[in-house]
Amino acid sequence: MIDEKALYRQLNDPSTKEAAFACLVREYQEPLYWQIRRMVLVHADADDVLQNTFIKAWGAIDSFRGESRLQTWLFRIAINESLNFLAKKKQVLSLDGSEITGLSINEIADNYYFNGDELQKQFQAAISTLPDKQRLVFNLKYFDEMKYEDMSELLDTSIGALKASYHHAVKKICAFFEEND
Amino acid sequence: MKTNDHNKDELEAKLLSRFGAAKPFTVPEGYFETFPNKVMSRIAERKRHRGLVWRWAAAAIFTGCVVTGGMLFESNHNNKQITEAEDIQYIEDALDYSMIDNMSIASYLTEAE
Repeated sequence: MIDEKALYRQLNDPSTKEAAFACLVREYQEPLYWQIRRMVLVHADADDVLQNTFIKAWGAIDSFRGESRLQTWLFRIAINESLNFLAKKKQVLSLDGSEITGLSINEIADNYYFNGDELQKQFQAAISTLPDKQRLVFNLKYFDEMKYEDMSELLDTSIGALKASYHHAVKKICAFFEEND
Repeated sequence: MKTNDHNKDELEAKLLSRFGAAKPFTVPEGYFETFPNKVMSRIAERKRHRGLVWRWAAAAIFTGCVVTGGMLFESNHNNKQITEAEDIQYIEDALDYSMIDNMSIASYLTEAE
């Protein structure tokens, strides 16, 4: 477990900033990658978004004042980059609404970096029908078992709203399978 | 309220029992070993580019000042009445002579991804 305080000091020292940032990348690349990947689904896209996340973090590191944990700050950048990426993608592909069902199923089917069975493919397809922010909440709670208190700090959203969002997401996914079974 | 919460938990349990919580995505072999170098190389490239941009901008501004100064000196020496519009024209000419347009200078000096 990295000493965030020591790392923060090194990031603020011009002589150690770059080495410290490389350490930051090594430490947080994986958890950030998996958050991003669950949102954008395709490895190549996740790679782009992850790179952009760290480039943005590098550009903004001098203005980070330690009000939150470094990890929380990085996660916020990654989430914003993921949501912006998805919004742009939908614009380019002229997709209506917040669902990208057809596209997601194709991406999952063609994606070589997916080792789930047919059931998992269907599950991911169902999850991809959720609006992006609701999908984010679902992923954080269902797969990461993140506490609502931590999620609230990360997403700057009330616990009540997050609970409601999660339970709506669960209902929708269950309804998806009732319709399609 | 308790019934409502129970129903919500039941639905989640339904999903968990049917699909579990396994993460079915994978990455190319060695991806995380090489990723940090990829990012740090991009950062190094950005720093180099920024350094070049500042040198260009400084050179353009210096050239513009020298040319403008020279033109103003020449016009004063000839006792010519220089109107405000002609002043602006001289400065614009100087910038044209420096071969860099205002938009380019502005875009170099602002952060752009």
